[in-house]
Amino acid sequence: MAEDEAIFDPTLKKKKKKKKTTFDIDAALAEGDAPESTTNGLEDNEAPPAQEDADDNADIDLDFTKQKKKKKKKPFSTDDLEAALTDIKDETGAGEGGGQDDEAIDDNFDLDFNKLKKKRKNKKNLDEIMAEVDDKTDDKENVDDNAITWTGSDRDYTYEELLNRAFEIMRDKNPDMAAGKKQKFVMRPPQVVKVGAKKTSFANFTEICKMLHRQPKHLLDFLLAELGTSGSVDGNNHLIIKGRFQQKQLENVLRRYIKEYVTCHTCKSPDTILQKDTRLFFLQCETCGSRCSVASIKSGFQAVTSKRAAIRAKTA
Amino acid sequence: MSIQNLNTFDPFADASKGADDDVQDGLVHIRIQQRNGRKTLTTVQGLSSEYDLKKIVRACKKEFACNGTVIEHPEYGEVLQLQGDQRENICQWLTKAGLAKPDQLKVHGF
Repeated sequence: MAEDEAIFDPTLKKKKKKKKTTFDIDAALAEGDAPESTTNGLEDNEAPPAQEDADDNADIDLDFTKQKKKKKKKPFSTDDLEAALTDIKDETGAGEGGGQDDEAIDDNFDLDFNKLKKKRKNKKNLDEIMAEVDDKTDDKENVDDNAITWTGSDRDYTYEELLNRAFEIMRDKNPDMAAGKKQKFVMRPPQVVKVGAKKTSFANFTEICKMLHRQPKHLLDFLLAELGTSGSVDGNNHLIIKGRFQQKQLENVLRRYIKEYVTCHTCKSPDTILQKDTRLFFLQCETCGSRCSVASIKSGFQAVTSKRAAIRAKTA
Repeated sequence: MSIQNLNTFDPFADASKGADDDVQDGLVHIRIQQRNGRKTLTTVQGLSSEYDLKKIVRACKKEFACNGTVIEHPEYGEVLQLQGDQRENICQWLTKAGLAKPDQLKVHGF
């Protein structure tokens, strides 16, 4: 049997050289093991004192066929390879030879005889059962390999595949993240109604403040500073702004407010608290725990837009 | 013999000088205000005092075909004031003229 091993090794090395991928070696090993074990078992069944010579011959023959098969398979595509693997399994396991090579068929005839005998003798010997177990384990290995589609081939992986794989692994490892994929922050649109000719009413102002978890005064300050006008909250909790504004325009301003004062600057989560600390506003995130200061609301320079005479009349 | 450790080295030398002398520091606030009817007013606050605002306003008036003026404000310094909604125009013009970088411009209003 030492000779066998000596013969075996170079073939394995050759396989490695030819195929380069680690998965293939496994597959090749499995392939190599399966028929060997069965034949060994069979020979043993036939002659319990283990005729070493016969054994050796059988193994050597098998090895040769394998080598030849490898040589022929090399130019084939991966699908063919997998098909061939399954074929070999069928041959060794079920017995009926469906080999694609001449040599293989020849060998299969030999094997077939053994197997016919085996079937007659079946369900007695431990060796038999062991061989079957071996086959099963081999099957399992191959199944695992097939689960990931591109194993067994040495083509270049596309970027998409690798990216998908990375994401799949990520999702498998932490299911929490998969659940909260990207929480969309849904806002109700502001209801804007014209009041007379020069004023605009923001009807659901307090509602939106509640949704954003912000003080109405803060949002009011921001809106008035951004729009450069004056305004106030009336008895029905509507915000009355001086000037004519459309819903689209107020949406823009609200979006800017949310970006600056509601969403966390680190993780973009809307689950935040606005705190005032020594004259500065801090945004504390409830999700990631980050805390950062936000710009104070300044109305900046205000140009005189009303009639100067009226102002003079007021002040004087 | 010189001791390298004790050499005077000002780590803030280039910080105080400013990264780029041509571009001003600080934000430029561009605001819009509504006037009567559908008239509006654009104000540009925060341009560096090193610039000659009068020359800028003269160029802007010609470029945007609008009237404009420079207003002295005790708190905010000199403020550019242009008639009409010139927010887009002034942003493009300031970056094109190299007076301010796009990330220094802050547009307010609707």
